[in-house]
Amino acid sequence: MTRDHHQRVIWTIGGGKGGSGKSFITTNIGICLSKLGARVILIDADLGGANLHTFLGILPPGPSLSDFIKKRVSHLKDVLIHTGVPNLQLLTGAQDLLNAADAKSAQKRKLLRSIKSLESDYILVDLGGGNALSVLDFFLMSDGGILVVTPEPTSIENTYRFLKSAFYRRLRQAVSSFSAKSLIDEAMDRKNEAGIRTPYELLREVRRINEEDALKMVEEAATFHPNLILNQVRSKKDIEIGFSIRSACQKYFGIQLHYLGYIVYDQDVGNSIRKRRPLVLENYRSKAAQCVSEIASRLANSHRMPSGN
Amino acid sequence: MKRIEEQTHYEILEVSPDADLKEIQRAYDHARETFHADSLAIYSLFSEEEMRKIQAAIEEAYRVLMDEALRKSYNQSHSHLIERSSREKQAEKSVKSSEIKSSLSFTDLSIEVGEITYRGRSLKQIRERLGIDLKAISAETKINIKTLELIEEEDLEHLPAMVYLKGFLKAYARALNLDAQKLIDGYFQLFKEKGKK
Ligand SMILES: Nc1ncnc2c1ncn2[C@@H]1O[C@H](COP(=O)(O)OP(=O)(O)OP(=O)(O)O)[C@@H](O)[C@H]1O
Ligand SMILES: [Mg+2]
Repeated sequence: MTRDHHQRVIWTIGGGKGGSGKSFITTNIGICLSKLGARVILIDADLGGANLHTFLGILPPGPSLSDFIKKRVSHLKDVLIHTGVPNLQLLTGAQDLLNAADAKSAQKRKLLRSIKSLESDYILVDLGGGNALSVLDFFLMSDGGILVVTPEPTSIENTYRFLKSAFYRRLRQAVSSFSAKSLIDEAMDRKNEAGIRTPYELLREVRRINEEDALKMVEEAATFHPNLILNQVRSKKDIEIGFSIRSACQKYFGIQLHYLGYIVYDQDVGNSIRKRRPLVLENYRSKAAQCVSEIASRLANSHRMPSGN
Repeated sequence: MKRIEEQTHYEILEVSPDADLKEIQRAYDHARETFHADSLAIYSLFSEEEMRKIQAAIEEAYRVLMDEALRKSYNQSHSHLIERSSREKQAEKSVKSSEIKSSLSFTDLSIEVGEITYRGRSLKQIRERLGIDLKAISAETKINIKTLELIEEEDLEHLPAMVYLKGFLKAYARALNLDAQKLIDGYFQLFKEKGKK
């Protein structure tokens, strides 16, 4: 692992629906990366159900981000929890960060800067299942956003809803005219009066009022590369769904999704959670653990390559 | 961000402009499976009308790209668009092919392309479209031509029982770069329909 440049990489894990496996994946990928020799920080930012500590077998309540926000401790690194796994630390209470109202956005940015200055190679953020605006922002500002989806219509529907919200939010941040911004806001409402149902129809409408903003939208689409993990795969046919989702995103949004890999459905996952022992430590040979570790090494490789990206 | 109507046949099938016939066949199978009314991957995304548009575009792209003469004239009349998109692709291509390769090697489970099954006749069609001679298949698979013909004609009377046939079907499918299981499944159905085991 190269540490000289000291570039930390922030991955956010979100989207999909409750129970798709985001927390399980965040924890176990984090452990795999730490076993590869990297320093890893897991951040639990699930607004409703923070539980990474349980996946790691740690008892709450430890120190949390709010201790830092409320100035009970002066350094952010002092609220990091040691997990017992070498090189792996946990930051809880990050929902306070996402909850922070817009008025405090300066504070939010400052917090983000403090997080980014923590000593580490990888930061993995479990965003939970919601798609509140602050969750979307976190997803968009990270170096890589990862969607966890299972091969079920409900999960796929939620994932597309999340992706659409994130995509439109990204477009909204990129355009500069007020009229384009409000068109995008309108398009977010499915029953909008302008009758905009797809990203292309939105693009067409924006082009009509502001050519420059339309160009910016095209640029944003070309550089938006969310990542996908397909979890709880039960058959060979399920694996293919990841590739199909990629094609569907290309046709619908005009974006290039990156299919990171799949994880098989495996009883050992549930068993390890009940024991409160992370799967990749408890049962490294299980099929699901093998899939997770393969994805982790791809993540490790993917950021080492593009130094000029 | 290009609307379906603005995408070239290559973009519709997500292949590079220099894709060979086998690649186009695979891409077509994948696209059909993906943009099928019952496909999970498109759930909640497209309206019926959009789906019809995409399906028609896929069929048209396949029809043109699998035919040497049609493809050539299409390439000429669309050279401007194709060249530009191939240059755009160039940058991501190396990344993409390595991505595909490693996704193929995730685990021992192999990637396959959906639900369509093949039978003898569709096999023959695909082989002819690919412009491959039966002799070449025979040489590659070491199956004699007569048996290959029987397979293509779906002549269940003269073909060996399924237990023996399986190996032949597998070898033939592989020679065309198709999913062998789909051919075996297709043949199983055939035997079932004809009430023979
Ligand atoms: N690959 C798998 N094989 C079998 N079971 C799995 C797998 N992945 C997840 N599960 C099961 O799904 C449950 C939910 O997983 P997890 O808590 O990670 O989901 P989540 O996406 O974080 O949910 P939430 O949105 O509610 O936070 C786990 O308790 C586990 O039993
Ligand atoms: Mg969770």
